[in-house]
Amino acid sequence: MTLFDERARLVANAGAGPNLFVATFEAPRLAQSVQPGQFAHMQIPGMESHILRRPFSVYGRNLASQTVDILYQVVGAGTRHLSGISPRSDLAEGFGLIGPVGRGWSPPAATSRALLVGGGVGAAPLFMLAESLKGQGVPATVVLGAQTHAALACEAAYLDLLGEDDVRCATDDGSYGRPGFCTSLATEALDQAAAEGRPFDYVAVCGPEPLMRIVAQEARERGVACEVSMERRMACGVGACLSCVVETALGKKRSCVDGPVFDGSEVLW
Amino acid sequence: MAVNLGGLPMKNPVTTASGTFAAGMEYADFVNVSALGAVTTKGVSLHGWAGNASPRIAETPSGMLNSIGLQNPGVEHLKTVELPWLRDQGATVIVNVSGHSAQEYASVIEALEDGPVDAYEINVSCPNVDAGGMTIGTDPSSVEAVVSRCRQATKRPLIVKLTPNVTSVVDIARAAEAAGADAISLINTLLGMAVDAKTRRPKLARVVGGLSGPAVKPVALRMVWECYRGVSLPILGMGGIATGEDAVEFMLCGATAVAVGTANFSDPASTARVIEGIERYCREQGVDDVNELRGALKA
Repeated sequence: MTLFDERARLVANAGAGPNLFVATFEAPRLAQSVQPGQFAHMQIPGMESHILRRPFSVYGRNLASQTVDILYQVVGAGTRHLSGISPRSDLAEGFGLIGPVGRGWSPPAATSRALLVGGGVGAAPLFMLAESLKGQGVPATVVLGAQTHAALACEAAYLDLLGEDDVRCATDDGSYGRPGFCTSLATEALDQAAAEGRPFDYVAVCGPEPLMRIVAQEARERGVACEVSMERRMACGVGACLSCVVETALGKKRSCVDGPVFDGSEVLW
Repeated sequence: MAVNLGGLPMKNPVTTASGTFAAGMEYADFVNVSALGAVTTKGVSLHGWAGNASPRIAETPSGMLNSIGLQNPGVEHLKTVELPWLRDQGATVIVNVSGHSAQEYASVIEALEDGPVDAYEINVSCPNVDAGGMTIGTDPSSVEAVVSRCRQATKRPLIVKLTPNVTSVVDIARAAEAAGADAISLINTLLGMAVDAKTRRPKLARVVGGLSGPAVKPVALRMVWECYRGVSLPILGMGGIATGEDAVEFMLCGATAVAVGTANFSDPASTARVIEGIERYCREQGVDDVNELRGALKA
């Protein structure tokens, strides 16, 4: 895999929900090459006293406009600063994106039906996987969870792609869909599909670690392959510094280049 | 641009700070490692170490803390995977050597003596391990013992990497000199902490870690200057170097060569950019030989 550090221009940076934004970057090389589940290691201009880049998963790409979309939640200094950058400001020209970084989703070639589970902004790194599965004619169902209805930022995109029968939502506050965490929807989907004789044979999950741990365990108990996407604090983003290690059955692995997607049964939770 | 660091010829004064560049393979898409003065590899121990628990890093104002804990797969892995690759690239190689005891440091060197290594950097300054590292490097007699033992193990250039977490860095440098070191490198990271006030937890799992980045540059310059005046060993200077001008500042304070560390994380092509920056400085300032800069501080 060849990495590059692409100079990128911010062309849109729009609110997508409470504390949620979608940033769109003109980044032709990244748009061309990024695979589902990979990320970009971003240098954000105008915050030079913060010396580290920030990793962001790619939500979508548009080959015609040569852009990539990144869904992000404001959680710290980097995302707060990013959310304040206007595409019309001088800073918009000054982004650097190292990419495409990491091992993305790799559903087994024989996958006949896939369940995707996205918690919070974890819904975004699964979207290109959903597109790819659909393109290959593999039926996919997505389970989305968020704190509130307004925070289900990716729902509309998934509805457009998969249709309403295959998009199931849960909200922590009960304002939309199933009240509570989305784990129960995921388990039900697994059991229902098995009962119908069309079981899922691949699960991909991205979100808070407890969600990934529970879904990975439910999948394992049912003998279904499951991949998870692990997030760690990261410095280099290219595999050198060993900051972002994940404990696995095969020893410590780097979430940046050995992951971020791992076999769920390999991770020591 | 060529310099000689205690018997190690370098085509230019720029190497990498150990632990920030692995052995260079991960940076090959961004930097031609053979164009560097040298590649300094990640610290290696005899049988490998697992390193510390996560989180291992925290960003701080103009810097970062790390407590990786010298995670490495051991010297055999370095010999069979990374060193052959570096040799094929035509890189000049400094291997950073770690150990828990004088004997372990020497054993790592002995294991590497038939390998394509141009110099050793003895890491008696890592703040993130319970034995070895900084526990040795803060005590002149321990430094002397480790360096003497390593000196017996090799005729190749021996660079001793010093910790800034001491009252007098010159005392430690003198101990290294007395024990037969060919050069010193400084500074390793400054011991520090970061705290999350909301959760009342330390930001690092090991609580303390090593501070690096632009924040430490003034301390590093001061210590390079002190060592330049206090010992006769050539100096590999480092600490917050991100530009050619930063590198020149270290040479003016007495460094023969410099290392780029944390800057590799924000810009993976930092090393190449620093080399270009030094060349540009020399051109603009009418400096014919980069060695003219060494110790040329007007103080």
